[in-house]
Amino acid sequence: MNDIITDRSIMSALGRQLTVAVAKQSVAASNLANLDTPNYRTRDVSFDEALNQVLPGGEKLAVTQRGHLTGQPNVPSGQLEDADGLPTRRDGNNVQLDRELLHMTRAAGDFTAAQTALSAKFRLVRYAINESK
Amino acid sequence: MSASASALTAERSRIEVAVSNMANAESTRGVNGQPYRRRDVVLASNPVESFDDAMGRTGAVGVKVADIVEDKAPFARRYDPAHPDADAEGFVAMPNVDVPEQMVDMLSATRAYQANLTAIGLIKDLISRAMELGK
Repeated sequence: MNDIITDRSIMSALGRQLTVAVAKQSVAASNLANLDTPNYRTRDVSFDEALNQVLPGGEKLAVTQRGHLTGQPNVPSGQLEDADGLPTRRDGNNVQLDRELLHMTRAAGDFTAAQTALSAKFRLVRYAINESK
Repeated sequence: MSASASALTAERSRIEVAVSNMANAESTRGVNGQPYRRRDVVLASNPVESFDDAMGRTGAVGVKVADIVEDKAPFARRYDPAHPDADAEGFVAMPNVDVPEQMVDMLSATRAYQANLTAIGLIKDLISRAMELGK
């Protein structure tokens, strides 16, 4: 029963991809803005894949750990954490310019892919609505 | 996007301070009669107030110019008896400006400025694509 790929679950998955892409892009932009701030540590955002279960009724998932899910159901919430393994410069800053630009570009690509697919779905729905008139 | 915009402002002020330092590298008479004192920009992180914060989600962090401080070290002294500002022993107090260091600061600020400009362009692109979702 869980294998049925419903229209709604596809749209939810695409919507989630949009949200994830925006969050990753926002964190990369924040890191870039602080490229020269002394003692600033690079941050990364990660989304727990296991929690990405879309329930047909849209109910809230049971929270196993406080702080994992907030707000509305089906809206993915990311964990902000310090990136490790990055060399630190003399002013205590460990933001790497190319790494952040790469993350940002990749997130933009993910966003575009999801947006294209979602647009196509919407167009189909609108076509169906219009054709029945 | 306001995080990246704040970075543009901060980096631009870094460039301006570096340029001002370089222009005054040889100024033995500053505003108050003393030689010019090198100025440095202090940057600090500045969380951006956003809707995401209210929702308990990740908010963006920008940057702000916390302070522009003057270098407090004693002036460098150069031996030049012919200089109009030379003291009794023939030494002139010079500003503590190292021009190559200021050039490097300026280059680094320019690079950061360009990176943040790219970030703004990308975000703007994403927003316009999101608008197309409804078309």
